[in-house]
This record gives sequence, C-alpha cells and structure tokens, in this order.
Amino acid sequence: MHRLLAVLLLTAWAAHAQPVMPTQLPIFDAHLHYSHDAWELVPVPQAIEILRKAGLKRALISSAGDDGQQRLHQAAPDLVIPELRPYRTRADVGTWFRDESVIPYLEDRLRKYKYAGIGEFHLYGADADLPVPRRMVELARERGLFLHAHSDVDAVERLFRQWPQARILWAHAGFDRPERVAEMLKKHKNLWADLAFRTDHASNDKVDPAWRAVFLQFPDRFMVGTDSYTPERWHYIQGHADWSRRWLADLPRDVAERIAWKNGEQVFASLLQPY
Amino acid sequence: MEKRRTGFCFLAAAVLSFPAWPCTVPGDATRLESSRYFLGFKAEAVEVARHFSVDVTTCPKPGQPQPEALKVDAQMPEHRHGMNYAPAVKALGPGHWRADGLMFHMPGKWELAFEVTAGGATDRLVATYQVGAIDFSKDEIAKILRHGPWPPPLAPDPSNRVSGKPEAVALGEKLFFEPRLSGTGSVLCATCHAPFRHFQDARARAFGLELVDRNTPTVVDARFHRWFGWDGARDSLWAQSIRPLLDPREMRATPSHIAGTIRALFPKDYVQAFGRPVPQDDEEVLVDVGKALAAFQETLVSGRTPFDDFRDALERGETKTSYSLAAQRGLRIFIGKGNCSVCHFGPQFTNGEFADTGVPFFVAPGKVDPGRQGGIEKLKQNPFNLLGRFNDDRSGSSAVKTKHVEVQHRNFGEFRVPSLRGVAGTAPYMHNGSLATLADVVKFYSELNEERLHADGEKILKPLHLTPQESEDLRAFLESLSAPGDSTSAAP
Repeated sequence: MHRLLAVLLLTAWAAHAQPVMPTQLPIFDAHLHYSHDAWELVPVPQAIEILRKAGLKRALISSAGDDGQQRLHQAAPDLVIPELRPYRTRADVGTWFRDESVIPYLEDRLRKYKYAGIGEFHLYGADADLPVPRRMVELARERGLFLHAHSDVDAVERLFRQWPQARILWAHAGFDRPERVAEMLKKHKNLWADLAFRTDHASNDKVDPAWRAVFLQFPDRFMVGTDSYTPERWHYIQGHADWSRRWLADLPRDVAERIAWKNGEQVFASLLQPY
Repeated sequence: MEKRRTGFCFLAAAVLSFPAWPCTVPGDATRLESSRYFLGFKAEAVEVARHFSVDVTTCPKPGQPQPEALKVDAQMPEHRHGMNYAPAVKALGPGHWRADGLMFHMPGKWELAFEVTAGGATDRLVATYQVGAIDFSKDEIAKILRHGPWPPPLAPDPSNRVSGKPEAVALGEKLFFEPRLSGTGSVLCATCHAPFRHFQDARARAFGLELVDRNTPTVVDARFHRWFGWDGARDSLWAQSIRPLLDPREMRATPSHIAGTIRALFPKDYVQAFGRPVPQDDEEVLVDVGKALAAFQETLVSGRTPFDDFRDALERGETKTSYSLAAQRGLRIFIGKGNCSVCHFGPQFTNGEFADTGVPFFVAPGKVDPGRQGGIEKLKQNPFNLLGRFNDDRSGSSAVKTKHVEVQHRNFGEFRVPSLRGVAGTAPYMHNGSLATLADVVKFYSELNEERLHADGEKILKPLHLTPQESEDLRAFLESLSAPGDSTSAAP
C-alpha cells in the first residue's frame, strides 16, 4: 500500500514538475516575420505566448516595418533575435534593390537598434550587384552582421564576391536541389541554410534519402523555420515545430538537435550581446 | 438619335376576331409572347453588315383580334441607333409575314422589335439578338473547348454500392428533407442546402444549430468533386454527407440517434435501398445514410448554360452565336490575361484542388481556419475515409488520392478551388462568404493583395488591374456559367 502511494505521489509530482515533455526538442525558428499587418491581429503578448507554447528556444524574426520585431524583442529579449529587413512594407519585396531610400532607412535603424543580421531580403541574379544591395552588404560588413538571403545560387555567389568573409543564411536553402545545396555548403564555409516553407526533405516523417545525406554531411549548417509571411501563419508556428520534431526524429539525435536548435543558437545567440 | 428606319405592312385582309385557320408558331422559330399574341420568327443567317430576311408568324391568343399590320424594326440600345436600311414587310398570308432588307451593320447587341397592330392597339414584342463573335484564335478556342462538353458522362461512384440505385436515391431524397435526423429534430440538410437557393443558403457563413466558420457550398454537381468541403477533409460524397449530421454546430446527431431514426421511420425504404434489414451496428447504418444521401445528391447536376451552347458551337465551327459579346470578352480574359482557367479549368471549371489566393482566414481573434492543412489531418483520422472498411470499391482505385495526399506547409490557409458552374446563384463567395457579389470577386482579383502571397507561391497570382469594362465583361462571362432559370436537372 505504501509502495502504491509512493508511486502515485511520484507520478503526480512528475506530471506537475514537467509541463513540457522531456523528450521534446527545443526549436530555434530561424525564419519568422512579424510584419505590419500582424501587429493588431496577433498582438505582442499573444505572439510571445505562441512562441513559448510551441517550445521555441529562440526565434530569428524580421519584419516589414521594423517596429514590430522591436516590440517583440522588448517583450521577450531571451526569446526574440531581431534581424533588419530592408522593407518598410512587404510591397518593397520586388523593388527595394533599386530603391535608394532603403539605405537611409537601414542606416537609421542600425543606429538605433541591435540586430543579428540583415534580412530576409529577396534578391536574385545580377540584381545583387546593384548599388543598393552593395551598400547593404557594406553596412552588414561594418557591423559584422549576417545576411539572410532569399536568393538563387547566382545572387549568393555575388554576395560572397562582394564580401568573401560574409556569413549568409540562405533562406529556404534557395529552394534548390539537395545536391546543389551540398555543393554550395561545401564551397562556402560561411553559408548556412534554413529549410523554411519546404517539405521536400521529409515525407510522412521520414527524411528523404538525398537530403539525409546532405544533413549528415553538413549537420552544423541547417536550421528550421516557419516563415510567417501572413499574420495567420503565426498560428502555424506550433504545427510547424511539431512537424519539424517528427521528421528530425528520423535523424541521429545529435544531428537532429543541431538542426532543431543548436546551430541557430551557436551562430546567432552570441551576436546579440550586449543588449 | 439617328432616324429610325422601319418596315411596315398593313394587312388589308378582313379583320377577324378569331383566326379562321389553325394558327401555330413553328417549332423551330424563336418565340415571343405579348398579352394578345404569340409571335415566332426565323431569320436567315445573320452576320454583321449583311442583309437578311425574317419570316414572322403571329397568332392571336383566344379572344384576340387577327393582327392587321406588322412593323419590324431593330436598334442597338447600347449605341442608341437603329439600322441604316428600312426593311420591307410583306404579308404572305393570314398571320404570316416576311421582312426583307434588314441589316445589322455593327457587331453587338441588337433589339429586333415587332409591332403587331390590331383593333386600334399595338403590341410590341422584342427579341435580343447578339450579332457577331469575337474572332478567337486557334489557341483560345482550344482552351475554351476544354471547358466542356456539358454535362459530362455520368458514372456511378464505385465507393458507394447504392450509387445510382433509384431506391437509394428515393431514400436519400427523403432523408435530405428529414429534420428528425438532427439531434434536435429541427434541422435538415436542406436548411443550409436550400433547393430554391441553388442548394446553398445565401449566408456568408453557414448556420445550422450554431454559426459555423465557413460558407455553405452548393451540393449541385458535387458528384464531380475529388475532395469535399472547403478543406477537403472528406474524400467521398457519402463521407461528406455524414459530417454535418454529427457536427454539434450543424445537426448535432449521434450514430445511435441516426440509426434509431432509420429503424423507426424508414425500415422499408432502407430494405429497398440496401437489400437487407437495417443492421444492428449503428455505425453501419450511419454510413448507409451517408450513401443514400450521396445517391440523391448525385442526381443534382446543373443544366446547360449559354457558355455551353457557345462552346459547342465553336467546336462545330459555327460563327453565328447568340452569346453576348460581353461574355465573350470576359471569356477571353478568363482564359487569357486573367489566368483564371489555370485553376478553374475543365467542364467543372475547377481543378478540384486547393489554393491560397490571399483571402484572409482568421475566424475570430486568435483563431484561424487552417484550411487544407487541417483538412488533410482530419481526412487521415476520419474512420469513413476511402482507406477504411466502408469503401465499397474493392479495386482500391478510388482510394489512391487518399493514400498519397500529404500535408505541405503551403496547405495552411488553402481552400478548395470551387466550380464556377451556377456561380451566379451561389453568392456570397469565398470560403468564408466574405465577398458579397461576383463584382466583388472580380474586384478582389483585379486588386489582388500580393503581400498576402508567398514570394515563391503561385506565380500566376498577380493583380489583374482590370478596366471597368473588363471587370464588367468578366462578370458577364461568370454569369453565363449559370443555366437559364438556375435550372438543375436530375441526372438519370
């Protein structure tokens, strides 16, 4: 009887003391946006609650309209790592690289706030060598910031030519084939890739063989990300984290942990100091 | 206004109160009717800028006098002018006339007017006549032809063993209008799928016993769907028919309640439909109710539309058409610069899949409708899906889609691409009924908010930037996808 009581008490204590499943992988979400249209629909307290409930260790967040992520960062500096997007609204996505007014905007924000990187920006091919992106790269170089590039291979190569020591987070792994991604990672030691908005690397919670080979070859170069490009997608952060945990479970534990959160933590967390 | 030129003939024949001959309007004539007369006319091949003649038959209704004179005229209401030539009207015999020398010198909408005079009064009967067709290119014609023919061949649903069986159709129809199937005894399928509203409810969001999150889709032509519901959470019409029965917001029934209702009220109908007594297993009865309801809904097939007639005429190589020029121009936008037919293609005007076109999908503060992403998860968990024991298709082919479908990130916020057949009768629009009219829908795509679309999403989704005339034309085309009188034929 005493033994049974002890077991019950122990079980009750365990349930109380561990609200988070002990086996649940923390997630470093390397691809979130909190843009102007999200601020009212997903208020800051709710946004922070979503991130914490999803079991995110940290989140790399950029916004079209930089104020949003600054509010998030102020509310949860332990959780939110800001990066600066060269967009005042998302309408800048297709025009920013020819818009010279973007530069004073970036300079002003960089003077006022600390960031881990500049991005996510959309930049393809020869546009990377236009004056505005070049100046953006210079600003990143001056401050030792990451570049978060939604780019094709050509643009990534051009960015590295401008600044060979650049550290680039390649958004969506360029939506490129795993073999091509591997070539780029092999060629550029300072290139990392996020897997946001991709599902081709895992099916039914099993990792695709071609991708598995790349993950095992470059376990310290990948991160996961939700890509909350509309306000509604903040409510997909939990689902995305759960989905990520399921396919990551198909990899060796140490590789899964690196991709889930350790790579992001190692690369970005230190860039925030001092705040 | 330009001087009107008309044809006029006074019939000097004796005026009779009743026709002395059997007067009938020829069956192949275009038929008009006034309070006193029936009139039929047959025109020779009408082409732009070419003279033609019209044969006219007038028949007085009982008690009305024999027509004394007929005048024929035509004008373009949109251009406010008439013809350049004065037609001559010749009496060929009692009630029979011929007008020569007419010419529609411009393409567009003409009103062909017949004024029948008798007993000191004149009846004006008007037919609208569309002259001329857009000279569609070979490529455009190929695209247009892909949207037909209509109706397509009807095949029974292999997953439903009573699909097409008349006794099951009869039972399904009774159940469709049976409130006692609902848990409260107060709601029936037709509450939301009202026959007089094209089998939907005209509400933005459905209301069964409570308000739900989405717009009620019509069940007309549902037999042609691949997935059912805005999120495709069901893979057969019969599984979809079960869903609202059990939803507490809609009909709030339980399997035991449904089975009990069948045993108490429809035991003979059940035997006739399924060839066996009502089983003891409540779940089996529930599934059979779904299958009977599906059998009935399979009979709801929309009728032929003005577009279908135009499409078939094109296929036959005919150039003469009564299809409005506005609709033709809208069709050109639909298959061309609008890129609408990329998703809304085929005889059903849908690819049967799902898309995110930027329609917001918050349901309430802090709550979103996950759309297809949630739908796939529900589908996989649903005990009535086609991978389960209730699928009557032993070949397994009907379950291929269910076996292979898998969630992708882009599915979050995607909703089913609806058929556009009968669309004029199914307002309001979108998955949440957020757009009240077809004009609003056209405006939505004309001013599409690209900021709500992923940079690597569907590339064809760009603001169309339509002119007011183009918007009106596209709306006219969409309206031409409804059968006259919103008729829904019963499939055999």
